[in-house]
Amino acid sequence: MKPIQPILVLFLLLIAGVYFLRLRKKSYDRLIVIFFILSGVILVMMPDLSAEIARVVGVGRGVDLVLYLGLLGLSFVSLLLYAKLRDLEAALSELVRSIAIADARQPDETNQGEHSAPNQES
Amino acid sequence: MGLLLVSGIISTWSLELHPTRGLNMSRSTFIVIPTHNEEGVIRSTLESLLTFDYTIVVVDDGSKDHTWEIVSTYPVIALRHPVNLGQGAALQTGMIFALQHGAQVIVHFDADGQHRAEDIQSLVDPIEGDLADVVLGSRFLRKEDTRAVPPLKRFILRGAVLVNGLLTGLWLSDAHNGMRAFSAAAARRIRLRENGYAHATEIIAEIRRLRLRYVERPTHVIYSSYAVSKGQSLWNSLNILIDLLLRKVFR
Repeated sequence: MKPIQPILVLFLLLIAGVYFLRLRKKSYDRLIVIFFILSGVILVMMPDLSAEIARVVGVGRGVDLVLYLGLLGLSFVSLLLYAKLRDLEAALSELVRSIAIADARQPDETNQGEHSAPNQES
Repeated sequence: MGLLLVSGIISTWSLELHPTRGLNMSRSTFIVIPTHNEEGVIRSTLESLLTFDYTIVVVDDGSKDHTWEIVSTYPVIALRHPVNLGQGAALQTGMIFALQHGAQVIVHFDADGQHRAEDIQSLVDPIEGDLADVVLGSRFLRKEDTRAVPPLKRFILRGAVLVNGLLTGLWLSDAHNGMRAFSAAAARRIRLRENGYAHATEIIAEIRRLRLRYVERPTHVIYSSYAVSKGQSLWNSLNILIDLLLRKVFR
């Protein structure tokens, strides 16, 4: 066993630990996380396997295959996060809007003496 | 959805709580003015508007300067976003408030002093005469207005007209002219989701989608050094374009 292998496995388990302890999510999310962590551990412990898959799909090295897939995964995750951000922004707008409308300041409450419209009745 | 419900409850509640605080709704043309850090110019803009008999709604979009304090000394309705959301969001807030308080016509008007208050009526007339649902201001309908536009600005706006035409299928003579008028029925159906400046294109897209009747009316745009410094730069135009493209992808 090479020294890098236990380090990577440890990190993967750490990520899984943080996820399950801190971010409790819906069951299908958990399944996806378990799947990725498990396949990560398997690929780390059996590097020959990734090399074999890489050869089959026509990529030079196993590491390259993991890199490409990882990049795709990252882009996908950032898109998801961006969509989520937009949802949050929409929710924030709705909230700010309702506060602004509820707290509307009306002319009657202000000191009108300073600047009053020429053709206002009151 | 939940938030919408909550906002509905809050506004109903506040109206019931202060029945005596009702607004003078005789003036059913509402001028909605979004402000963001406009302390230098908001006084003169409000004073020119107050010589006319409109209901003025200022929506302060989280200004960090004294805009809010200044606006509060005028006999206008003042709404405030606790945090800055963008001009489109401020306009949407003002329109919702106006509709809740009996507006028949809603006019968008920029705070930076680039529009003339005396141009408002020519935008309101087609709606009151039921000739249009939306009236859009244009600085390119009269020679004297066009001449007042700086050459670089003219060039950028030609590009914006092209982009708007391609994205919305509606070909107008001007783009990003902040002066527009809506009938209450049209304002009720239009919903601005773009918080930033891309709302100008979004409005055109909504006109097309909802098949609203629209006309353009000439407006004179005053290019004071203040308005130019606050206005859209070439760089900002690029940002708007990116916003528009993202909107196509993410809705």
